[in-house]
Amino acid sequence: MRRLALVSVALISACSAGPAPSEIVPRTAGAPQPAGASTVTSAPSSTTGPAPSCDATASLRPGALPAAGQMPAGSTMERILKRGRLIAGVDQNSYLMGFRNSFTGELEGFDVDVARQITKAVFGDEKKVQFKVVTSAERIPMLQRGEVDLVVRTMTITCDRLKDVEFSSVYYQAGQRVLVRRNSGIAGVDGLKDRKVCVAAGSTSLNNVVSRVKTTVSVPNWTDCLVMLQQGQTDAISTDDTILAGLAAQDPYTEVVGARFTEEPYGVGIPKGQEDLVRFVNGVLERMRADGTWGAIYRRWLNTLGPAPAPPVARYRD
Amino acid sequence: MVIDSQPRQALVRRVTGLARSTPGRLSLIAVVLVLASLASGSLATWSVNRQEQALQDLATRSEPLAHAAQEVYRSLQDADATAASAFLSGGLEPTQLRERYEADIAQAQAALSVATASSPDLTATLAAQLPVYTGLIETARTNNRQGFPVGAAYLREASGLMRTQLLPAAQELYRAETDRVARAQDEAGFPVAPVLVALAFVIGLVLTQRYLTRKTNRLLNIGLLVATSAAVVSLLWVTTVSVLVMRDVADSRTASAKVDVLAQARIATLTARGDETLTLVARGAGQAYEKSFVEVSQRLEGQLEQAKRLDDTEAVDQAMRHFRQWQQVHQRIREADDAGQYNDAVNLIDNPYFDSLDSDLVRAIGQARQDFSDEVAVARASLAGTVVGVLVLAVISAAGSTMGLWQRLKEYR
Repeated sequence: MRRLALVSVALISACSAGPAPSEIVPRTAGAPQPAGASTVTSAPSSTTGPAPSCDATASLRPGALPAAGQMPAGSTMERILKRGRLIAGVDQNSYLMGFRNSFTGELEGFDVDVARQITKAVFGDEKKVQFKVVTSAERIPMLQRGEVDLVVRTMTITCDRLKDVEFSSVYYQAGQRVLVRRNSGIAGVDGLKDRKVCVAAGSTSLNNVVSRVKTTVSVPNWTDCLVMLQQGQTDAISTDDTILAGLAAQDPYTEVVGARFTEEPYGVGIPKGQEDLVRFVNGVLERMRADGTWGAIYRRWLNTLGPAPAPPVARYRD
Repeated sequence: MVIDSQPRQALVRRVTGLARSTPGRLSLIAVVLVLASLASGSLATWSVNRQEQALQDLATRSEPLAHAAQEVYRSLQDADATAASAFLSGGLEPTQLRERYEADIAQAQAALSVATASSPDLTATLAAQLPVYTGLIETARTNNRQGFPVGAAYLREASGLMRTQLLPAAQELYRAETDRVARAQDEAGFPVAPVLVALAFVIGLVLTQRYLTRKTNRLLNIGLLVATSAAVVSLLWVTTVSVLVMRDVADSRTASAKVDVLAQARIATLTARGDETLTLVARGAGQAYEKSFVEVSQRLEGQLEQAKRLDDTEAVDQAMRHFRQWQQVHQRIREADDAGQYNDAVNLIDNPYFDSLDSDLVRAIGQARQDFSDEVAVARASLAGTVVGVLVLAVISAAGSTMGLWQRLKEYR
């Protein structure tokens, strides 16, 4: 009897198996990306041809600087003086160069101080400046639309850009390097061939990097790159050492590696045709080199890059 | 089947044989009337029961769920705008902004857990991404606390996640829940079939009465008279109650339309506020946010006007006034910012009009939801007792028909 019961139980369980135990399947959520992130496969079309050759860093020779508050009649500077403020395009995301002090809410950095020095030369008061935050890609369009008087924003002087805007003499000589996580084993730009690299859209760094690496991701701001690096969505960031130093200062687990593989001379961007303003700004830069202001600003912001070098020597095409 | 056909044919023969004699015909009519009475009664009971169910569902499930979905959207939107404001303020973030953000996240979680019970599929994205969002916000805060601009980048990434994934998911959830309300309202509609059946039953009783009068030359049959009266009362009862319920449900539709418009207006308010703040955070690079502010404000104005047309309450009037004041201040903020007076612009953004507008809308939404709840309660009240009443009347009809026909049948013995 007992055996019969066992057999029937075995039979019943054999032909009426219950459903498989349920499982909790997590909804896979892809890692969030910075708004506006996109993968770049080739350099922007406007720069694919051979770069136009020119003597890019030779600017216009300054005359004697007019006294603050007394700009020559009819000049661009007089128009700015009459308006009562200078409108400068800067960055608020590049630590040490142009960034927002989160405690005071003010914009600060090397570029911001350069813009303040130019303001001081026009008004005699460095506070009469209105900062407009511009992204890398918006620098030239903003100058062309006349929305800013000048741009001081880690802007590299190139022959290509000289077709659209004017540049001052070189106020800082930077060069492109690579920022990686400390334990990544990447030693420089040559180690990036099969890696994913983040750069800001519209920067010269983008063109320098896109042919040397496997994947290039472009984002609106350099800090967006740091977010992607910290979240493991990119292996490296490659741009000017000034910007990288600012990024590295925000994350001790990163380091700048390799030698400079490009030369990035920074100039103040000025709308095309405003030669009087170019000469004026060059005059201000000459004075900053001569009276030690340049060195003071460097020491204030960029000491992490090493002791202050001699300011870049201005070259002029007259 | 072959074996079965024999008895079935026998049954058919018996019934047709019965129908040939008058007493047989009378018994047959009695059986049919009793069955019809019970069928019509139970059909009416079933339909009234269904209406009651639908109304109960509206009051206790669909509407609360729609409200929960709307709260998910609103609190998420507000959390994002508040996080941006706290960032903008500079220095240590103001305590009240931090508290508001925390309250928003807590509210979103609570509302989400209510909604998850009914729509687990629609809330999956929200449940998966909300912790990611809060994680990004905390990373932004930590970096901001140390003076690192990468904090702003984390804030932007969080905001992007909110705008591209969380808010659309919340929007979808809200749509699904409001559709459910509309379906429940449809189900409480007019019961056409039961009313037609009841009407056919009354006609059947009247025809029986006429048949008997012709056969027996007696004018009245008390039993059938009682049965007919009960059937007519039942028919009128169900029809009247259904018309009343339909009217109340139509009113509740107006109330839900109003809640919907006001809820959209509240969401637009918060979106516009977020845009206004982010325009200043972007510091000159915020044209896209300002453009969105203008678009959303236009939409908001339209929604407020629509709410005013649906029901011109004091709360809606107040909301309209505060909206206009806010728009004026916004104009001044833009002028100050465009003229380089950034700090003035930041000071101006700290005005009471946005908060007033928001609390006006909260008040108006509360009133509209109360209206909805009242309408549904009235509808449910008018259904009260209908089920029992209709059943009792059906039994009376059945008994009356049986008695009436029994009296006539007795005369053939």
